[in-house]
Amino acid sequence: MAEAAQQMLDRWGGGVCPFEAGWRKVMMWVFIITDGLLFAGFLGGYGYARIMSTRWPDQAMVFDLRLIALMTFILISSSATMASAVGGTSHARRAITLRWLLLTALGGLLFLGMQAYEWTHLIEGGARLDGNPWGDPLFASYFFLMTGFHGTHVALGVVLLTTVAIRWAKRLASHDGVELVGLYWHFVDLVWVFIFTLFYLV
Amino acid sequence: MAAKLGSGTRNKLYRTTWLALLALTVVMLLVDRSSLPRVAFLAVVLVAMLMKASLIGANFMHLRWERLPLTLMVIVGLLVTGAILFGLIAPDAVRISAMRP
Repeated sequence: MAEAAQQMLDRWGGGVCPFEAGWRKVMMWVFIITDGLLFAGFLGGYGYARIMSTRWPDQAMVFDLRLIALMTFILISSSATMASAVGGTSHARRAITLRWLLLTALGGLLFLGMQAYEWTHLIEGGARLDGNPWGDPLFASYFFLMTGFHGTHVALGVVLLTTVAIRWAKRLASHDGVELVGLYWHFVDLVWVFIFTLFYLV
Repeated sequence: MAAKLGSGTRNKLYRTTWLALLALTVVMLLVDRSSLPRVAFLAVVLVAMLMKASLIGANFMHLRWERLPLTLMVIVGLLVTGAILFGLIAPDAVRISAMRP
């Protein structure tokens, strides 16, 4: 383990604390920027299709906005519990941090469950990657593309959160480990803010 | 750094941020159900969206406590790319839309 960490440090080949942030955190930020650009590309493509389309369906007719609002509420709340988990580590209250981490993972699981329900409902209603009964075929294409990629991020986040929680309980994870998974999780919440507004509301 | 804040102050900040995010979401949903003109609706939800993104970035992701170059690297890079991307393709989309019968 220590050897692998040293190897990574050698590969970095620079200072260990650029911008006083810790090199791992800087690398996480680089990942977040590139991942953010991916979603910016999706949203840009969606914007193009949306403005160009004359047959974009009225979202209120397709989606149950109460369910989407609940999903948003859960994801925002899980971001708050994640922030509390990161905050708790600096005071070394292990049990409290563990509780917040598990609560965050639970929020992610609930979100995924509701998304699975939403996908099933829409697929049963006739939504396909290349068409849908409500209007422009690109509507369903972009729906599956954006919520699919976001949902995959949530699923990966739940795996990471669970891993870090187990490592934290076994005293193998440090404050940095919790903070890194926290950054990732907040990013997933941040992406949802844009998808919720631009795809479901606008 | 966020670690320098007392745990009470920090928890209060997280709670306030959480409540602000929920309140902004409720405002967006209410505006969606109202009969505001399209332009006013867009202005409200887009401003609320950017406010939510800023709150998450600043308070939850601790960007307000990071060194300025790191914060700028994240925010400016994503904002400028997004603006250029959309700024370049939106006029074309409008043009194609207008060409339709």
